[in-house]
Amino acid sequence: MAIDSTVVSTQLPIKDEYGFFNIRLESIGGFGANIAGKMLAEAGVLYQGFNGSNFSSYGSEKKGSPVKAFIRFAEPSTEIRISSPIEEPHIICIFHEALIRTEPVVSGLRKGGVVIVNTKKSPSEIQKELKVENATIGTFDAMTIAVETKSRVNMAFLGAMCRASGFLNADALKAMITDTFTKKYPATVPGNLQCFDRGAAEVVFETFVSPDTLETRTFKRPGPLFGYMNAVPGGVIVNPGNMAKKDLSASRQGFLPGFNRDTCIDCAQCDMVCPDFCFVWEKGVDKRGRPAMNLVGIDYQYCKGCLKCVEACPTDALQDLREADDYGKEHRTKHNYWR
Amino acid sequence: MSGNMAITEKELKVQKHTFKSGNEMAALAASQINFHVMGFYPITPSTEIAEYIDEMKVEGENTVHMIAGDGEHGAAGICYGASVAGARVFNATSANGYLYALEQMPVQSGTRMPMVLDLVTRAVSGPLDIRGDHSDLYFALNTGWIILYGNNPQQVYDLHPVAVRVGEHPDVRLPVIVGFDGFFTSHQKRRVQYFEDAQVLRDWVGPQPEGFPHALDPRHPKTFGPYMNDPDLINNKYQLHLAMQNVLKVLPDLFEDYSKLSGRKYDLIEEYMMEDAEVALFLLGSAYDTGKEAVDKLRARGIKAGVLCLHLIRPFPVERIQQALRNVKALVIGERSDSYGGNGGNMSHEIKAALKDDPANQTLIATRVYGLGGKDFYPDDADTFFNLALEMQSKGTVEVPFDYFGLTAATENQPVEVVAPLTKAEQTSPVKVELVGEELKVTVPPPRQMMGMPKRIVPGHGACPGCGIFGALDNFFRALSGDVVVLFHTGCAMVVTTGYPYSAHRVTYIHNLFQNGAATLSGVVDTFYEKKRRGEIEIGEDITFVMVTGDGGMDIGMGPSIGAALRNHKMIILEYDNEGYMNTGSQLSYSTPLGHKTATSNVGTLGKGKTFHHKDTPQIMAATHIPYVFTAVESNPQDVWKKAAKAQWYAQNVGLVYGKMLIACPLNWLSEERLGTKIVQAAVDCNFFPLYEIERGITKLTYDPEAKGKKVPVEEWLKMMGKTKHMMKPQFADVVAEFQKEVDRRFRRIKAMSEHPDL
Repeated sequence: MAIDSTVVSTQLPIKDEYGFFNIRLESIGGFGANIAGKMLAEAGVLYQGFNGSNFSSYGSEKKGSPVKAFIRFAEPSTEIRISSPIEEPHIICIFHEALIRTEPVVSGLRKGGVVIVNTKKSPSEIQKELKVENATIGTFDAMTIAVETKSRVNMAFLGAMCRASGFLNADALKAMITDTFTKKYPATVPGNLQCFDRGAAEVVFETFVSPDTLETRTFKRPGPLFGYMNAVPGGVIVNPGNMAKKDLSASRQGFLPGFNRDTCIDCAQCDMVCPDFCFVWEKGVDKRGRPAMNLVGIDYQYCKGCLKCVEACPTDALQDLREADDYGKEHRTKHNYWR
Repeated sequence: MSGNMAITEKELKVQKHTFKSGNEMAALAASQINFHVMGFYPITPSTEIAEYIDEMKVEGENTVHMIAGDGEHGAAGICYGASVAGARVFNATSANGYLYALEQMPVQSGTRMPMVLDLVTRAVSGPLDIRGDHSDLYFALNTGWIILYGNNPQQVYDLHPVAVRVGEHPDVRLPVIVGFDGFFTSHQKRRVQYFEDAQVLRDWVGPQPEGFPHALDPRHPKTFGPYMNDPDLINNKYQLHLAMQNVLKVLPDLFEDYSKLSGRKYDLIEEYMMEDAEVALFLLGSAYDTGKEAVDKLRARGIKAGVLCLHLIRPFPVERIQQALRNVKALVIGERSDSYGGNGGNMSHEIKAALKDDPANQTLIATRVYGLGGKDFYPDDADTFFNLALEMQSKGTVEVPFDYFGLTAATENQPVEVVAPLTKAEQTSPVKVELVGEELKVTVPPPRQMMGMPKRIVPGHGACPGCGIFGALDNFFRALSGDVVVLFHTGCAMVVTTGYPYSAHRVTYIHNLFQNGAATLSGVVDTFYEKKRRGEIEIGEDITFVMVTGDGGMDIGMGPSIGAALRNHKMIILEYDNEGYMNTGSQLSYSTPLGHKTATSNVGTLGKGKTFHHKDTPQIMAATHIPYVFTAVESNPQDVWKKAAKAQWYAQNVGLVYGKMLIACPLNWLSEERLGTKIVQAAVDCNFFPLYEIERGITKLTYDPEAKGKKVPVEEWLKMMGKTKHMMKPQFADVVAEFQKEVDRRFRRIKAMSEHPDL
């Protein structure tokens, strides 16, 4: 499908000092944010005639780890000469609500910028959590839209971003979606387009203005935890096991295992397949009063929601559970063998 | 991509806009050139190049013969062999991969074999850092290769055809590196142009020049690679020097010729606003483009600023540098690598040397090492460099000629003990092993009793949901009593447990390199026993040494592993096999089974997944006659514990143990996270992964699916994974049949050995 670029404007409504309109996607590996970033940029560049660049946060990130995707748009004659990450975006998309707790997702948002969040909550509820002022917040239940259209949340986000941008053309984006999926997965095209449309239609925007705080939220460049004067030479880590401080709960994509102690038979099948060592055991006694290990709970801080344990459980002590807000926090049994 | 229709010359040169990354453009160029052979080995950030070429190949866009090496040293050897045989050859690598192959580089140039190698630059270990700097590139400077360098995806594409022609030129005959910044250029998508018809690029590159010796001409036998001492070697090297000088003559013409085709004109150096510049920056690669932003800002203020970079690093374009800098008053050279202790990275040394030979030059020069390990270079960093240049210009002197830029001096953090070190008593496993007569008897308790055994790896590691590595490792470690020292090969387990400044390991952990863990641990183990012998370590101290590797580590590290096995060090090599190079994004390993889809064994019109059978590493290791070899899976934990306890006994009392555990990789097997345990059990039940042990040379099946009435055809396993979904289609029936045949043959062999008293 081709879009007649002559009828589509290649003027940007707002630009930063280098002539860019900047978009940052905040997600975890597995939600398709990188693909969304790529498709958005391709639509703008190849179907609408803008200049642009697109890249992701680099590293050996695994599925479930926080990732960022960046999109820069420029007018056709503006060269893109900067390859560093986007620090002050005009639009921020939060694909995974749980990241609000664990990551500085709105860092650097420009005054008057837009934040779009995949959530069941309203813009004003999210505004209280994000504590952003002088910004427009858009919310929608992208997950449900994706499930209902048999698509992915990234398609719904493309729809929402298209509406928020003020310059991205829905026909261009839909042409992009069609062309991208027609070759390898033609059956997914109608669902993806429907997901896009519903994303655009269902996102609810509200603008929050506070005259007291007119400044852009300053972006803080992440720095190292140690400097050359206090890091142990050679990169040696002298406090083994300190990774236990990490909170991996944002890796879950909506599900976790619910634990019912009443039907647990302490068979340990769950513990033997858990990749994340979430099961907490204590010394106690078995049914006959002999010393034995007892499973007392799950440390949800580390649970990534793979549900291998549910598959392994021979009773109904472990079951799939759709994760409600703070369920993991409230039902967490803390590991007790370290300080 | 190539059309058969007759097309006019005007149409041939039509270029199309696209939106691609540096790696994509490198692969596109290589595909269009259609090299005969690509020998390669995956390493971030260059891995994608081979992947994209393979993807295009299975759709018929090229016929590049792809050979997956056993490591970069092997890949470079493959490339050398193909060059000697007269092929047009391509390879792509980075960082430690390049260093591992380094030995091959001067041979390629010294014996005058052209080829093209993409060096997608990245920080060299250690500590291991996968992001982009120029430390690998600086190692390339003395190899005798021509080095071209591109700043952005467009330049990456354009430099490839030029690289082929300059290297193959009759007056040159040298191998060529096309370098570009890892991640900043390799992974960033930009608006670019390319020739839609591959034949345009193919024609411009043209056929290989004839008349040069090669190894496939039996009527005209030649001797390649003779033994050559003085007085000859100096003359051989002078020939190489002359060839390098010729590049300076040949390359400008090629750039000119290419510009007629593409409209894009390159020079040996690239300059921005340098004509009248008084202050300037020298920045190699993507940072050069960023420097232009700073130049524009200064020019707007009336300051004569400029920036320059190199497209040709070897030979170093001395005259062009002298011309460009003749009237510059102050220059700051940014270096994305250091020549430690040399008071300047290599670019500083070379630029200063060039200017020293220009009596007219008065430029003040400062060097700033920046962006190591992929630390970003922001526009305001370029501003800061210019401020330094302006200060130098106004003061007329350089106060600090050499320094690092972008450091953190100190933070308020101190290493805090989060988890107490494990005591010996805590590490007493309920699994008991004792020697009864000549036989090792292992007592394994019910699983519940094992739950009191503390884990030697803490939660908090960053593996993917459903990762099979950690269940396997933990089940193995639970059966080991006493202190353990581990060494991990490079791979997922290493990366996700040790992101600085965090470690998930409660016991002492070592990582060295991808391939030489077995050698490294040999040194550790023998130091332990030697120090014990000398009384420097208490007699009562006993440590079990375990090397953990993926199947990739057992490809590239096969040699050191066999070496350690032949020397019979008291250690365990534990392999977690997920059938591919998963840490770099699922490329084929030699353990990938026939027909399975990976990023370098694609499925398409012309691709049927991996083309050769999976490696039988346990049998290879068994052939070294080590005391104990085993296989195990998570779905049979008691079997794992039994084997782990035996492994520990043999490693403490006799010598080297090798064990392989098949583990699920839901991300790259394209399988459901929750099904990992069942999938590996299906691999066992279809006889693909027989559970057995070889104890002092005697093979014993520890689980026979047939005897248990659990035997299933391979399809029952294959259908559980997305990576093998295609094999369920009728057109793959022959592949499945061949796979089943090989699986059955190997199983019958193990079973026969199991039944035989001497095998």
